[in-house]
Amino acid sequence: MSHTKELTKGIFRENPVFIIMLGMCPTLGVTTQVFNAIGMGAGVIFVLLCSNILISLLRKVIPDSIRIPAYIVIIASFVTIVEMVMHAYVPAVYSALGVYLPLIVVNCIILGRAEAFANKNTVLDSALDAIGMGIGFTLSLCLIAAIREILGAGQITLINLSESARVIITLPGLSSSPIRVMTLAAGALLVMGYLKAFFNWMGDRKAGRA
Amino acid sequence: MSYIGIIITYVFVQNFILVQFMGLCPFIGVSKNSESAIGMGMAVTFVTAVASVVCYMVYYFLLVPFGIEYLKTVAFILVIAALVQLVEMVVRKMSPALYKALGIFLPLITTNCAVLGIAIINIDEGYNLLQSFFAGLAAGLGFTLAIVLMSNIREKLEMTPVRKSYRGIPIAFISAGLMALAFMAFDKSLITNLHLV
Amino acid sequence: MKQYLKIASVLFCICAVAAGLLAGINAITAPQIAANALKETSAALMDISGGFDLGEKREGNGAGINYSITLVEGKEIKGYVLEITSNGYGGPITLVASYDTDGAVIGAKMMANSETPGLGKKSEESWYMAQFEGLGGAKPLPSSKNDLADPSLVSGATVTFTGVSGAIRQGSEYVKGLGGK
Repeated sequence: MSHTKELTKGIFRENPVFIIMLGMCPTLGVTTQVFNAIGMGAGVIFVLLCSNILISLLRKVIPDSIRIPAYIVIIASFVTIVEMVMHAYVPAVYSALGVYLPLIVVNCIILGRAEAFANKNTVLDSALDAIGMGIGFTLSLCLIAAIREILGAGQITLINLSESARVIITLPGLSSSPIRVMTLAAGALLVMGYLKAFFNWMGDRKAGRA
Repeated sequence: MSYIGIIITYVFVQNFILVQFMGLCPFIGVSKNSESAIGMGMAVTFVTAVASVVCYMVYYFLLVPFGIEYLKTVAFILVIAALVQLVEMVVRKMSPALYKALGIFLPLITTNCAVLGIAIINIDEGYNLLQSFFAGLAAGLGFTLAIVLMSNIREKLEMTPVRKSYRGIPIAFISAGLMALAFMAFDKSLITNLHLV
Repeated sequence: MKQYLKIASVLFCICAVAAGLLAGINAITAPQIAANALKETSAALMDISGGFDLGEKREGNGAGINYSITLVEGKEIKGYVLEITSNGYGGPITLVASYDTDGAVIGAKMMANSETPGLGKKSEESWYMAQFEGLGGAKPLPSSKNDLADPSLVSGATVTFTGVSGAIRQGSEYVKGLGGK
């Protein structure tokens, strides 16, 4: 497979959220605002890239029988780094992501890519795979967050670092009478269900045409 | 918070699946029939309760005295992975019947957000040992409640005509969304009004 | 046996390197985190101090009021800043509020909370707390959202509003109880 394909497969064909259905809990937990989705995506891209590279480098050193605990330690360390750096330099993002930030550790995408890809491929391919998967994850999160925030609050929060550093696009009409349930838990599950159905329908249509 | 307050909070108000989305992967994956849903629910409840207690002890008796609280995430996930292994071995030895019921679900639990989630929430909320235990137990019970209800719905859905693109996972998510709507009736003010804070 | 030793040493090495790395990064970030927290609190306190200087810090009452700081001009006590904890929709909320000696609100600011974005989170914005300013002394504080000029501003987040207004009312009563001392 060419290098470009390693990169782009994660965005569409093997999209981690809508096609492989991995990493569901942060996907729904943080997507109340587009800005949170971007923050979560950035965290996941960093952890995924670092752990994929490291695991690919160490794939001949780590004995098979302890690979899972070894991967978990590596992933957890990178997650802790993200946690500490975000807490120190972007506290607004840190508090918005809350418990979902340490939960990146158990995000199945990361362990899944380590197990399915990084431990049998070269460093370059693993890095590209991580970037593609990470971007695919982030875009999916942004899509869900945009739908939920537009319908649920009538706005799109692009940057929300403090009261002075804020970029919010407010949509007239919707913002005065939003569908509030969309920002709550039930809305997340409904949006996810309809989006998955939409992607299934797209996939079927494409398969039917081919 | 009182123990009853904690139990109501984590079973209903902050239901791990329908409100916090923790443990959503097994919720969708293992809810096709009610028998395996009950098995998964019991296995998760057992592990969340035990992990809450063990992680509490690791945090306050190991990490805090050495001033290395920042290793919390690493330590907890290792403890949980080891604990799941241990539980699997003990259950296999002690009760083959129970192992038959829970066995295949146990390895999946290590990467279940609910277990790490409750361990971290216990520390963040500053619960004591017994409160942590009840929070863990209640989180698992809440998970079981949601997954068993879901499996019953999905068994019914099997016999219902559903449009092709909605079949399987999409309709499961939409059903879960409707369940979450019902769970919105349990909100924080319930705990306050019952004077359980 | 040799095999086990190898496995154990590899795993040990990974753990040791990880712990070392994290200790290093923690040493860099910890002071920054502490500084952030301090800066946030002192900025919030300065914001609502109404131009007075911060005086001595006192213990609270252990039932919602965490601590109080006197607001002074010269030696004279002009008011108090309180940190108050209450219950919102998403769990406990913490806010700081300043009062003159009659219990009228000078200013208030939402601190730690886990309210719903777009709904209860609005309480972090300055206009939200401005609804309480000047009330609590001669004019009463709102006891429900219907006492507000425009109740629709807080609709959808009534639980948050009840928590916030309850906390601010409690603070006002507490300040009246201090009697300017």
